[in-house]
Amino acid sequence: MIVLERVSKTYHPHSVGLDDVSLRIKAGEFVSIVGQSGAGKTTLAKLLMAEEQPSTGRIEIGGWDITRIRAREIPELRRQIGVIFQDYKLLPKKTVFENVSFALEVAGANTRHVREVVPQVLKIVGLEDRAHRFPMQLSGGEQQRVVIARSLVHRPKVLLADEPTGNLDTMNTQDIMDLLVKINAFGTTVVLVTHNREVVNALKRRVITLRDGKVVSDVAHGKYMLTV
Amino acid sequence: MMTNAWRIFAASWKHFARNLWIGLATVFVFTVALLSVNVLIATNVMLERTVAYFEEKIDVTVTFQPGTPEALLTQARFYVQSFPQTESARLVTPQEAYEAFKERYKSNPKILEAISELSTNPLGAQLVIKAKETKDYPFLLSAVRNPQFEPFIRSSSYDDHREAISSIQNAARSVRLFGSGLVAVFALFGLLAAFNAIRVAIYTQREEIAIMRLVGASSAFIRLPFVLEGVWLAALACAATAGIVWAGVVFGEPRLQSMFAGSDPGIAAFYVANWPMLVLTQFGVMGTLSALVSWIAVGRYIKR
Repeated sequence: MIVLERVSKTYHPHSVGLDDVSLRIKAGEFVSIVGQSGAGKTTLAKLLMAEEQPSTGRIEIGGWDITRIRAREIPELRRQIGVIFQDYKLLPKKTVFENVSFALEVAGANTRHVREVVPQVLKIVGLEDRAHRFPMQLSGGEQQRVVIARSLVHRPKVLLADEPTGNLDTMNTQDIMDLLVKINAFGTTVVLVTHNREVVNALKRRVITLRDGKVVSDVAHGKYMLTV
Repeated sequence: MMTNAWRIFAASWKHFARNLWIGLATVFVFTVALLSVNVLIATNVMLERTVAYFEEKIDVTVTFQPGTPEALLTQARFYVQSFPQTESARLVTPQEAYEAFKERYKSNPKILEAISELSTNPLGAQLVIKAKETKDYPFLLSAVRNPQFEPFIRSSSYDDHREAISSIQNAARSVRLFGSGLVAVFALFGLLAAFNAIRVAIYTQREEIAIMRLVGASSAFIRLPFVLEGVWLAALACAATAGIVWAGVVFGEPRLQSMFAGSDPGIAAFYVANWPMLVLTQFGVMGTLSALVSWIAVGRYIKR
């Protein structure tokens, strides 16, 4: 499903984001990418959503080689990968409904489809009664659930969550993680990028640990190693 | 296709409504820019009108010898009228010239007394020539002073007016050149102000633009609502400018009449005659600039 072959990302001669990383993530897996600040987690996430290009190596998602993806193909890729951000990245001047429907509209979905799908995903994330609120009228947890709803409208095969609980309290963190597990149970591959030890340990799923841009461990039912 | 077009159209309006203050600030800058250009256009119209007023006052009178045959006078008039440079050529009979002379000097009894002592009318017929343009007087004068008419011509008033005509010609040239230059400079300043206003407005929304890209929007889908919004802003500014200019003309023109010896300064007439061209030109330039700058400025914030 997701293949990285000897991927490196160098920003400057002395600033290495990723260093010769190879890994394979199968369809339907729930994988946590962990590591301390500067380990290369965010670089990996940016490479997967084609926000950056690798310096060397090859990246493939669902059989699509995105290593040298052209700028005009990026929107198509982003419609196939759901992305959740720590800072939500919601459009502040659009309502909850409009934020979610925007992701469908950019793909050219017809109005009828939009009106059917958006309430469904808002129901999945428990925000059906917040559809006409603006992001600033919502709590952090609710905003993150809007982001999840937005990422789900395309029924993506891959959901990339970059520190989704970074700005949330314990209660909201648990809600969001439950939601991600539920989405994974429906068959969506989830890649969770985090440095939250409790979250990773509670999941008991595959854990890939990065340090200084390298993969230092890849355990099928792992834990966030304190020694890292 | 139609769905996308409608979404882009609707998004541009929603965007304007939800960013009302940024939009209104941009419209304000556009309007000030357009107003400064319009003030200069109106000033230019007034200056042109002033020059035209003085030009209208100019004519050249060719005075013939007393006793010049009437057939020759009529021939001279037809001859002058045949030139395309001639606006009008009017014959004044000796009797009419005599009456006009008396009228002009009615407050000067000495002159009136002197002329009444003469047994015959000492004044000859006159040919009053009005050229279409001031610069044509020397040509018309030289034309009428041909060998056929020259022996009968006593004098012409052109030599008396030569300096005044030349001054008015120079003034007209300067006014036209200076006025056009000033309008061009203010138009340029206006465009630069509008250019910056759009850039600032889009700068404030750079994060939204980046988010749109992150959720899979194509460049065109992101850019077009901003481009359309730029066109709406230009249209609103043009409408506001037209309203303010018209109110200014209605209020100001009667107050300017005293500067034109009670006659019409010509600003309202100019706007009535040219408003479709003026509004369309201003909207065309402002709308195109706004759309173009929006397209470029949004592009700066569309990352990969």
